Amino acid sequence: MTVFLALVSMLLYIYVIAVIEASLRTGRVNAALPLFAALALLGRESIVPRKCDRIFFETAPILLLLSALLAAAVLPLAPGLMITDLATGALFINAALAYVLVALLMAGWGPDGAYALIGGWRFLGQLLAYSMLIVMPITAVAMRASSLLTTDIVTSQAELWNIVYQPLGFVLFFIAAMALAFLPPFDLPTAQGELAGGVEAEYSGVRLAVFRFGRLALITALAAATTVLYLGGWYGPWLPAWAWSTLKLLGVASAMLVAGHYLPRIREAQLLAWAWKFGIPLALLNIFLVGVLVLVLS
Amino acid sequence: MILAQSLLVGFFGAAAVAFGVWVFRTSSMMRSALALLFSQTALGAMFLAMQTEFLGVLQIMMMATEMSIMAIFMVMFMMDPGGLGEMDMSHQKRLAIAAALVATTLSIAVVILVDWGKPTAVPPGAAQQVRELGTELLGRSMMLFETAGVTILTAMIAATAIAVDGRPYGKQKPAAAAMNQQHKPPLDEEAQS
Repeated sequence: MTVFLALVSMLLYIYVIAVIEASLRTGRVNAALPLFAALALLGRESIVPRKCDRIFFETAPILLLLSALLAAAVLPLAPGLMITDLATGALFINAALAYVLVALLMAGWGPDGAYALIGGWRFLGQLLAYSMLIVMPITAVAMRASSLLTTDIVTSQAELWNIVYQPLGFVLFFIAAMALAFLPPFDLPTAQGELAGGVEAEYSGVRLAVFRFGRLALITALAAATTVLYLGGWYGPWLPAWAWSTLKLLGVASAMLVAGHYLPRIREAQLLAWAWKFGIPLALLNIFLVGVLVLVLS
Repeated sequence: MILAQSLLVGFFGAAAVAFGVWVFRTSSMMRSALALLFSQTALGAMFLAMQTEFLGVLQIMMMATEMSIMAIFMVMFMMDPGGLGEMDMSHQKRLAIAAALVATTLSIAVVILVDWGKPTAVPPGAAQQVRELGTELLGRSMMLFETAGVTILTAMIAATAIAVDGRPYGKQKPAAAAMNQQHKPPLDEEAQS
């Protein structure tokens, strides 16, 4: 029952996030737009390019979706409301999200198309920028909780949320999460208007629908991770636990989408230079500061 | 429970071997690299089936990134990355077969001859394993891991420093200057920068 509830909640979040994204793109709020877009995609022919690597081409959209769902599986929406509570939960989020890269490389290589290929390799470069900025802030969060269990991480924030305790880690994780979900301004692998869709370029019909659904699931999982790791998870006054998780999750996802909507696309070289010259030293500083705080306050 | 675990270990072991064989059966460098990734992922799943959760999850996580990065190097440096020329990845076959037979015999001998002690009926819980591993890494084995970590970091910085020639174009060594000349940006971009 708990698993069913968690999956239904995830589907609802994905739909609401799709509505927000569509509203930002079209300039008007229409709750039915993602439904019509999905039906239109499902009704179209799903073309398979000539000389494609069929295994990679077919696997990529499913692997993207699976990675996002596995990452979300260890994130609690309320006490007990999660698919599984692993002892290595915080590490498992990273492990599941690492396969987003594999999915995008497959989607880039599989169709035998130039734009897709460039998009796939671009994401590999993007990984070199964002991956440490995902792992290092999570390390600092686990240090405070003295545990990798995601429920322990939430309960460690009962008195003070991590966004206040370690704001530097939050900022770095938020930016890196946007890069992982290849949201603008980090939409280098898809790059509409430049790569004609990049890794998405050769997909159509039901395969494109699964790919886009997977990406929305990825945004949802990352918003849930931000909520659990930095915003105190289900904690909050007056409202029930699940309501606080929902509000925070949708708030984070909206913030990611709105920020991306108003920022120009960053260049790959700029992203890498920024990440390695500033991002990683700041992430190390964050770990040091949290270590000192943990020692002093304990 | 033990039977189910043994079946899962056997299944993932067979999958690891099958993907390992596929690494050399394909001509595409991308397929080869990702077959190796899924072979390693199957090994991670074996760890999970053996109730060593941390090691399993770590293996599954690390290999995704490492093998993907290896894929781009294989595509860059092999003469037939797409595999369209039906390149044969195997060579020195007799030596390889002999080496494989010796290694397999030795492995089986180790499995049979070593006294492994009594099997643990109830392994420590996953959270306890994480705690004990952390204590080990930051206790007795700390110097070893810290030395390895700092050595790798030093090698990374040194490799980057060698690859990036920071001197202006006129003062570079002839080879580096010629290489940079090829990749020199057009004049308008140079003026902007």
